[in-house]
Amino acid sequence: MKFGTIAAMAWRNIWRNRRRTLVTLASMVFGTFLAILMTGMGDATYGKMIDMAARMGNGHVTVQHPMQVQAPAPKRYISGVGALAKQLRADPQVVAALPRISGQMMVAAAGESRGAMVIGIDPTAENEDTLSALGSISEGKLFAADDKRGIVLGADLARHLGVKLGRKVVYTLTDRHGEVFSGLGRVRGLVKTGTSSVDGGLCLLPIDVLRRALGYGPDDATLVAVLAADQRHTHGIAARLRHLENPTRSVLTWHQTMAELAGFIDMKLSGAAFMEGLLMLLIAAGIFNALFVSVMERLPEFGILSAIGWGRGQLFALVMLESLWMALVGLGLSAVVTAWPYWKLSTDGFDLSAKMGEGAEVANMMMDSQFYVRIHPEHLAFIVVAVVIATLTSGLLPAYKAGTVNPVDAIKLV
Amino acid sequence: MSGPIVALKGVTKTYQQGAIEVHALRGLDLEVQPGEFTALSGPSGSGKSTALNLIGGLDTPTAGGVHVDGHDLGALSRKALSDLRRDRIGFVFQAYNLVPVLTAAENAEMVLALQGVPEKERRQRVVALLDEVGLGGMADRRPDELSGGQQQRVAIARAIASEPAVVLADEPTANVDSATAEMLLDLMQKLNAERGVTFLFSTHDPRVMARAGRIVHLVDGRVERDERRDG
Repeated sequence: MKFGTIAAMAWRNIWRNRRRTLVTLASMVFGTFLAILMTGMGDATYGKMIDMAARMGNGHVTVQHPMQVQAPAPKRYISGVGALAKQLRADPQVVAALPRISGQMMVAAAGESRGAMVIGIDPTAENEDTLSALGSISEGKLFAADDKRGIVLGADLARHLGVKLGRKVVYTLTDRHGEVFSGLGRVRGLVKTGTSSVDGGLCLLPIDVLRRALGYGPDDATLVAVLAADQRHTHGIAARLRHLENPTRSVLTWHQTMAELAGFIDMKLSGAAFMEGLLMLLIAAGIFNALFVSVMERLPEFGILSAIGWGRGQLFALVMLESLWMALVGLGLSAVVTAWPYWKLSTDGFDLSAKMGEGAEVANMMMDSQFYVRIHPEHLAFIVVAVVIATLTSGLLPAYKAGTVNPVDAIKLV
Repeated sequence: MSGPIVALKGVTKTYQQGAIEVHALRGLDLEVQPGEFTALSGPSGSGKSTALNLIGGLDTPTAGGVHVDGHDLGALSRKALSDLRRDRIGFVFQAYNLVPVLTAAENAEMVLALQGVPEKERRQRVVALLDEVGLGGMADRRPDELSGGQQQRVAIARAIASEPAVVLADEPTANVDSATAEMLLDLMQKLNAERGVTFLFSTHDPRVMARAGRIVHLVDGRVERDERRDG
């Protein structure tokens, strides 16, 4: 008997008990719908968080001195950053490779001084797409390329220091030789992100000014921040870099430079994976129940089919094809049911500001209260495959039962 | 081929029902020649259905040998037995004979499909066969659109479609009314007479016994009487 004939018979069989099939399909569609929306929300939210984290200073991938993580110090810098950045930009998955200097310093005004995190940037190469703080300048603007005195402060830091736009501050830091250096800056802009660590402790300076202050050469920096076109390419870029890099530099991903965020996302993803596993289990249980009952009801029929010459494999295939049809119909209906809500949630998102205000700080980052649903294609493919596997797996026992039916016992049930 | 189509030699079948041993057949000897129209009769528990199951290769004897169309069933693998049933034995059961989601023609041609007969050829053969069993024009009807008698006719068409050596019919008239039973018997008798199809029934229906060319009476798993009739 041809495969197509058995497949056609399987198709008709799933509609024998229309109500049972529709109830089973409804649970399948509901489970798949939830799995897609949950995964899509996670993909959109965590992807956005990772991109935001990367744009906070270190990039998706960071190239820096090997000891900079364990014992950060001005003397631990890397050289030849211009050539390295150029080489990195040649990678098609890299959108920006930016030499930066990061460290700690004291900022003082008339009667107050505060510790601050300083980032030295090239104002001609940076914008809010490469450094998120630049999109949050609430007052003033970023210093110009030829501005030797320009400095941008976190809004809360400026408030604590009692300075406003145009006022002078003195910053003090230790150079690469361990000598203290003091410089004068004039406040050009204030940053307000809503994140306490940034607003209360960020200080931006032109990278060339910091190079001179720290005693670095014109091609030195503490790091090169690499921004990926898609955060999912982080490991690929890092792997290629590690292959090319020399042992005087280390290549770190955002998982290593933003361990707290990585831990938070891993925890959330584990929870989501557990929930999705439960959904798949529910789908499988629904299909199993429907198929098993259906096979048990048809045992006499399987007995007669076996008697007239159907082989065990053909009976097994018949029931497996019934479960495959259920999977395909269920996925088709899931696509129809999910399409509109998905489109709506991916374009308009949904607003949780009533619950969480304008946003919430997570792992030193502001999370937007507007949530979107945008699933990665590979995750969608995973869900589709998981549904098919769950369905086929749940068909195995009923199919085995049908394939191994004893005609004599089965026909006695007539 | 010459010689019997079916031969049972010293066949015993013992079932275990809990702690009790049930002796369904106790040394049954039986031969059925080609073209016979034979009924196995006897009271419930006499071993009629067990004998048919053993002849059909659906069950295995506890002792003794079963030969069908020259094959020793005890020597065949599960696959070979399945192929033998498909190619050389036709079955008609009491009920649940047909697959409800298939049409009359699809049910009737199922064995031909299993044999790999091309679709066009098997459809031609089956439409002609349905005509012959009195179901002309009903090829596309599903079982739930047919009466009980019509369903049994489809089952008979399926049983003879592949021109088997023997058709085994287990109480084929048990679930139909008298008029339908008479029509089914007319049909099977006609097929036996015109096509030479060998029929072996299990029955305790007097109407079937009245039509049979040979009646083998079974009692307690043994042949009590083997009655042949002329014409």
